[in-house]
Amino acid sequence: MAEFEPVLSARWGNPDVVSIDGYMKTGGYEALEKALAMTPEAVIEEVKASGLRGRGGAGFPTGVKWSFIPQDTGKPVYVVVNFDESEPGTFNNRELVERDPHQLIEGAIICAYAVRCHTIFVYARGEFVWPGTVLERAVVQAYDKGFLGKGIAGSDFDVDLVIHRGAGAYICGEETALLESLEGYRGQPRLRPPFPAVEGLYKSPTVINNVETLSCVPHIIDRGAQWFASMGTEKSTGPGIFSISGKVNRPGNYEAPMGTTARELIEDRAGGVRDGKKIKAWTPGGSSTPYLTAEHLDVQMGFDEVAAVGSLLGTKAMMVLDESDCIVDATLRFSQFYAHESCGKCTPCREGTWWVTRVLRRIEQGYGRMEDIDLIKDVAGNMLFKAFCALADGAVSPLDSSIKYFRDEYEEHVNQGRCPLKEERPILRAATGRSGGTTGRLAQILPEGEEIQLGEVLG
Amino acid sequence: MSNRPDLVTLSIDDREISVPKGTLIIRAAEDLGIEIPRFCDHPLLEPVAACRQCYVKVEGQRKLMTSCSTPVVDGMKVFTQYTDEEVKKAQVSVLEFLLINHPLDCPVCDRGGECPLQDQALAFGPGESRYREAKRTYRKPLPLSALVALDRERCVLCARCTRFCDQISGDRFIELFDRGAAEQVSIAPGEDFKSPFSGNTIQICPVGALTARTYRFAARPFDVKSGDSICPHCACGCNIRVDQRRGEVVRHLARDNYAVNDAWLCDKGRFAFQFPDSSNRLTTPLLRERGLEPVSFGEALAAVAEWCRGSSVAILGGGRLSDEDAFALSKLARTVLRTNDIDHRTSGSSDPGAAPVEAMQAAGMPVTYEDVERAKTILVFGLDTENELPILHLRIRKAVAKGAKVFVVHPRRTRLWDIGKHVLRLPGEEADVAAHVSVAEEGSDLADVRRGLADAGPDGVVLVGPRLVGSAGAVAAVATLAGEAGAKLALLCRRANDRGALRAGLHPALLPGGRSLVDEDQRASVEGVWGAELGSEAGRDTARILEAAAARQIDVLFLVGADPLRDFPDAALARRALENVRYKVVVDISSEGLAIYADAMLPAAPYLEKDGHYTDWEGRAQRLRPLRNPAGLARSEWEIFQELSEAMGADMGFHSLDALHEEMGALLAGDEAAVDAATPARSPTARSRGAPDGYAPPSLATEPTDTGASRAEASGVAGTATSGRDGELVLFTYPLLVDEGRLSAGADALKEALEEEPFAEVHPADAERLGLVEGAAARIRTSAGQAELPVRITEGIARGAVFVPYNQPGFAANTILSGRLITAASLEPVAARSEVAS
Repeated sequence: MAEFEPVLSARWGNPDVVSIDGYMKTGGYEALEKALAMTPEAVIEEVKASGLRGRGGAGFPTGVKWSFIPQDTGKPVYVVVNFDESEPGTFNNRELVERDPHQLIEGAIICAYAVRCHTIFVYARGEFVWPGTVLERAVVQAYDKGFLGKGIAGSDFDVDLVIHRGAGAYICGEETALLESLEGYRGQPRLRPPFPAVEGLYKSPTVINNVETLSCVPHIIDRGAQWFASMGTEKSTGPGIFSISGKVNRPGNYEAPMGTTARELIEDRAGGVRDGKKIKAWTPGGSSTPYLTAEHLDVQMGFDEVAAVGSLLGTKAMMVLDESDCIVDATLRFSQFYAHESCGKCTPCREGTWWVTRVLRRIEQGYGRMEDIDLIKDVAGNMLFKAFCALADGAVSPLDSSIKYFRDEYEEHVNQGRCPLKEERPILRAATGRSGGTTGRLAQILPEGEEIQLGEVLG
Repeated sequence: MSNRPDLVTLSIDDREISVPKGTLIIRAAEDLGIEIPRFCDHPLLEPVAACRQCYVKVEGQRKLMTSCSTPVVDGMKVFTQYTDEEVKKAQVSVLEFLLINHPLDCPVCDRGGECPLQDQALAFGPGESRYREAKRTYRKPLPLSALVALDRERCVLCARCTRFCDQISGDRFIELFDRGAAEQVSIAPGEDFKSPFSGNTIQICPVGALTARTYRFAARPFDVKSGDSICPHCACGCNIRVDQRRGEVVRHLARDNYAVNDAWLCDKGRFAFQFPDSSNRLTTPLLRERGLEPVSFGEALAAVAEWCRGSSVAILGGGRLSDEDAFALSKLARTVLRTNDIDHRTSGSSDPGAAPVEAMQAAGMPVTYEDVERAKTILVFGLDTENELPILHLRIRKAVAKGAKVFVVHPRRTRLWDIGKHVLRLPGEEADVAAHVSVAEEGSDLADVRRGLADAGPDGVVLVGPRLVGSAGAVAAVATLAGEAGAKLALLCRRANDRGALRAGLHPALLPGGRSLVDEDQRASVEGVWGAELGSEAGRDTARILEAAAARQIDVLFLVGADPLRDFPDAALARRALENVRYKVVVDISSEGLAIYADAMLPAAPYLEKDGHYTDWEGRAQRLRPLRNPAGLARSEWEIFQELSEAMGADMGFHSLDALHEEMGALLAGDEAAVDAATPARSPTARSRGAPDGYAPPSLATEPTDTGASRAEASGVAGTATSGRDGELVLFTYPLLVDEGRLSAGADALKEALEEEPFAEVHPADAERLGLVEGAAARIRTSAGQAELPVRITEGIARGAVFVPYNQPGFAANTILSGRLITAASLEPVAARSEVAS
């Protein structure tokens, strides 16, 4: 492979591109003008030909998604940019917007043109205060320069862009929950079918794309589908930004062609594991993708390649654990995240995430029973593919894979009655419920300072 | 069935079935008798697929499917827990999940013994839980209102209750709050669950999370005696189940009947069940000697017979009787007491022009619930659906959800405000408004009504409120409007068996089956069956009976489940009437109210102590069954009337219910044929499906007039607001759903939750003109009296109108009325004390 030249992050070193003038000096918005000279169908064909697949995790071919949008419903078409990046370990959307907001805006406008949409919504994660502000300023500039609004860039195409800030819910990254939230309802996923392409926002045909996906689009139009497809592997084309975090020397976002090996990314780009320690486990695509171990480091980071070794590419968020990290503790933290972020709509996710979190905590604190390990496995199996949306499936990933690769470490916790990697076993004391009664032997003991569970929730 | 092209064939557990396209798997399974466990699924609510209990395997699908949300496909092969281990394991696991945080307090839970969670856990769940952690707990119970308590620990978050409020009643008081394991049903702080349909959420709750505060810890399913009945509160005809514990009613539940009430009840029907057990219950005949003394039935009836002999007799009431009671009373009046002064309509003067429409309504079922549900356009004329016929109200909402348009012509905005278009017009002007529809200018609200009716054609339904019978020319004019549009027309009624009473002929001008008393042929057909000659002159209506009574022209006045002191919109006239009639015979279940006037009181049986029928607003007769013995010596009214006929030496021949039914059959069953024979001039289609012909509204001004003044004057309202007299408004009133009505006696929780304090509602423009302030008292003066009520100001009332509820605590509107439900009134602010001092 020839020397890789950054594409999506090419302008990150240039602080001027945050302003529209700086962006245009680097050739910005030329792809849009080029697209406007094409027919919408031709734009879709170009994106199809590029092989671009959605970067939000599912990896659905972007051009195909656009081609599903029916044009004869008499309803408006909407483009929604999913900027609700909240997967633990994932932070590439944030930097893409902070450092090069116009790249996203340009891609979104091209998408809108391709599907004949006149209103784009950007659903921005509520906690992203600064990136949201950067994006808002960029949108104002794009309006001023005539790239948004009526008759953009001298064409007869009108398009508006509205930024909506979320209120801090992981579930709103799920596309139908995002639409519910955008419409002003509780952020909970919708029954499908109908799918958003047919009945999405306000029951109208809707395209929902990730920030990174749309950021690729101007480059595809600018330099052609073939150039784009020349990068990466056969089924995972183009460049991608890999968020690498955890026990590495240089955590951060790194752009590389899709299909680059994990070893190259972790060892060469991120500087390897800190303090010369060994890799114990890593996630290829955030907390909702099954752990892989040191033996999987040569896997190519493409959709199908990662799936072939039993995990998922997800959002390309590589969290690295070293040998000093307790896998039970790490899994407990992930589980707490899912228990906290479960929307509550369906039973397996709401109750399952709650249950396993409690069992994991007990094991980590040294009060586990050997049968708890299989219990977690079984409960996880009862959640997998049984819940309303994929959140529960994500919650199952660390559970299943940690027991698969590190069952002995769980057993150590039970056998030693403590976390083998921690110095002290927490002091437990009897907890009493509101009524003073107790419910079951193990329920009576809770860690010091933790007066949850009994009478805890929301008087 | 099988040759219908819209059927699809699938197999469930290798058994084939054909069902209509779009059917959900869970429904198809029900048709095969295969029970799939479920919690969030409800056939009348949109699928949500939240509980994940109803998993099935569909061949060719990678994941298990929720059968409550998956429509059938031709050739589909479905496997349930009975044939597939994976499905079984998934279902067991969901039940295990649902139970981990459930308190398992079945022994103290009201739902214990009739709980879908309990039943399905037993049938499909794991024998033992593997959950060893502490359970989630909440403060409990959370009172949502005086009627509904919420126990969040028991909740399985199926969202049936919140979906009911969103999709069925539209009263979105409760909602899911928070998320994850802390997700919970709740209500905005400081708010009450003030929906008149709140009780339905209790009944559809699949666990003991929502409980009725009237029933908490009151009984267990195994120590109540249950029986089917019909709700006695209004003409909706809701199918209910009555639960009694040790002979006392402890609750009403809705029974499913998709032709009538779907699965719903209003809160009055559900929570006002105390009256049959009230301490005022009449249990023995009473006869006035020195005071009212208990006597035997024989003694009492002998006395009454003696009073009636050769006297002028009038009869009020009948809207709460059964069909059988009403029929016996009709015959008693006409053949034994020899009077046509009989009227079941107790609320004021009635317009004789309404009689043909009443006859049409009495003779059949011109409009049904199903017609309403399938209508494309519904015109509600002169009716506050939620307050007056709440289950019809829900059906209208359902029709709108299916795409119907709804227009409401009413002086005051109704609870259809969110889904219907309101045309606010002064009361008393209804005839003009109806006549104006056909000539209204394009773009006006009435032109929209015209277009809506024209678009719908025979799929249009016009619902005429019972109050319009008291508005001159109104019923006839609306009937003409419906007839021109080809829409179906129904004249509604409010009391549980007003329709049956009308059908039986408890009406001054109509005989059984809507036959005209003055029409010789029609009268003859009744005379033939009854074997007696009937008076040929129409009798007096309620207002004129009371006037005659007050003028000492009536010797004996029968009050049959009627209390004119409350029901008649002129309390003073009612009082004078009672004071000036020599003998007052009260046939009732309660001694409340009339005991000081009565000369004889005869104890009757309420809905749950009698065999018979109630006929709902549609004209649908539904069976009442005796669920317990009548209290004391009480008995069904028809028996009392039969015994009275014997005491008068004119045996009506009703020695058994069968004998009574036989005669009713001759005059009422197959009404259409009977009336057809009697009135060959009428075409059957016109009679049953539209405005009746054979009558004309010619004497009424069908040309539009600019103001309602002439009409209002004609109908006895001297000078409406349009006459420009300062401070004069048109006051109108009707009873709200929950009020001080007699059948709500003892329903304290219902009243605490939903009964409003009296008020006077005016338009902001009138308020400004008259200096009225929101919440401050106004003095209302009418020709009959005056009252002080707090003012409510709303855009949702016609200019120039003032609304007061009929019978709220501390204020009875009939003290300021003169025989009609509308009157001219002047309003002025009541000066606050401090202002007086300064």
